[in-house]
Amino acid sequence: MKKWLGIGLTLTALLAAFAASWLSPHDPLRTDFPQSLKPPGVAGHLLGTDQLGRDLFARILHGARLALFIGGCTVILTAVVGGSLGLVAGFVERWPSAVLMRIADVQLSFPFILLAMTINAIVGLGLRNIILSLSAAGWVVYARVVRGEVLSVKQRDYVHAAAALGMSRTRLMVRHVLPNVAPSIIVVASLQFSSFIVAEAAISFLGFGIQPPTPAWGSMLSESRDFVYVAWWLAAFPGAALALTALGVNLLGDWLRDTMDPKLRV
Amino acid sequence: MRAYVVSRLAQTALVVFLSLTAVFAMVRLSGDPVLLFMPMDIQAKDVNEFRQRLGFNDPMPVQYARFLAGAVRGDFGDSLRYRQDAMGLVLERLPATLLLAGTSLLLTFAVAVPLGVLSAVRRDGLLDHVATISTVLGQATPGFWLGLMLIYFFSVQLRWLPTGGMGGVAHLVMPTIVLAAFYAARVARLTRSAVLEVLGEDYILTARAKGLGEGRVIGKHTLRNSAIPIVTLAGLEAGQVLGGAVITETIFAWPGLGRLTVQALLNRDFPVVLAAVFFISLMYTVINLVVDLVYGWLDPRVHLR
Repeated sequence: MKKWLGIGLTLTALLAAFAASWLSPHDPLRTDFPQSLKPPGVAGHLLGTDQLGRDLFARILHGARLALFIGGCTVILTAVVGGSLGLVAGFVERWPSAVLMRIADVQLSFPFILLAMTINAIVGLGLRNIILSLSAAGWVVYARVVRGEVLSVKQRDYVHAAAALGMSRTRLMVRHVLPNVAPSIIVVASLQFSSFIVAEAAISFLGFGIQPPTPAWGSMLSESRDFVYVAWWLAAFPGAALALTALGVNLLGDWLRDTMDPKLRV
Repeated sequence: MRAYVVSRLAQTALVVFLSLTAVFAMVRLSGDPVLLFMPMDIQAKDVNEFRQRLGFNDPMPVQYARFLAGAVRGDFGDSLRYRQDAMGLVLERLPATLLLAGTSLLLTFAVAVPLGVLSAVRRDGLLDHVATISTVLGQATPGFWLGLMLIYFFSVQLRWLPTGGMGGVAHLVMPTIVLAAFYAARVARLTRSAVLEVLGEDYILTARAKGLGEGRVIGKHTLRNSAIPIVTLAGLEAGQVLGGAVITETIFAWPGLGRLTVQALLNRDFPVVLAAVFFISLMYTVINLVVDLVYGWLDPRVHLR
């Protein structure tokens, strides 16, 4: 059940993202003032229109594209950076390990959302910068998990055997250790994905990150606050899209963990 | 034990010092706060004078040393916007945040722990299924959306609760629920799995075999042993609640530390950003230290080194 619901919701979100331009009957940016704040179903607008008469359904579909793009880029960036740092820190135990763990301690002494938001306020707004600030705040988790896994994997007999046969350290790391820590990287990535999407929306909601008129779920929710008395749909649908996407990816991640690496706690 | 506490305190001090440095570096990397704060038609001469007065013209190491010397005494300079001591502003807003965090943690543990225990004890029962579904939903629902929906139902439609601000108990209800929802879901899930793990242990079988009542088996043997992961998570979450407060306070116009931080970031009021971020990370670090110390008390097998 968990598995299929997770796969179903994630595929729906992916479909919405990839086919946004074909699926949406209207341009998400085209304003139409006479048709502003129309409730769902009126005048060919499936989910209604916003304060500028823009079609909400089209904006949500394009929002899915943006959310998944940001989530995907951030997950890949953090997995590569955090994963390789963790790999090196676990393998070379001397100072790289100590330095990395101190940096991790410092980062973990800030709540994730506050750190990402502060970095974003400092590096500036926009798509590239939100990906960078989420990554800068999020790589630590991979580094820690991967380092821990490497520390245990490299004590296994097959690693010792390969080392005894004269395999170089780099080759040992890439051929024997990396494949064995890969499942944890994948599981962490899937569990982080939804928290990145939600964090991006939260940051955009607070006024940093993606700015209007770009259709991002977070900034749409932020704009909806001014119309809470007249247009409930402006808050309800983008948030539901966000929650269902997060739910789907979460379920998928849980299922991946159960099948690949049941002991991992993230 | 004493040696452990001393070394943990030293580590904590190091982390706090490094995070101070990180905060200073981040803020200074972001460009010139003076220009952003000045009116558009200002003369270059005036900008320079203002900068001189605030010390932004000094070399970076001098600024850093002055910053550290001030920070040790809790002095982060005056707010650029309110012309008032930045740390003073932070401390002024602290009680509101502590109140909200306190009621949320209380709600979290009052609901989540019993729910987790009950669904583990009655595994696969109706309550367990309902609890599993609601915790999964609770974890996926973003707090700010939950907040907007609550405002719509309870303030706009039913007119039972105020949309925001601080005042009586009615003002506390929605922010508390929003802040608690996410953590309650996590705590309930973790409690369930921790209790299930302990219920499979041999000593539980022994306790049952010797004829102990179910109440004592659960109350005495199970709960104490499943407390460690729950306390660990509680500590980590207590810190994250501070992060969640940033969003919750903004939605409900709650005059706490989180809202102050967001506004200071939006206004580029850097002394306040520094003071607030530093203070939050300090609280967070101290909470983690306390959690580590509580381990040893809960589980005598854990040797603190």
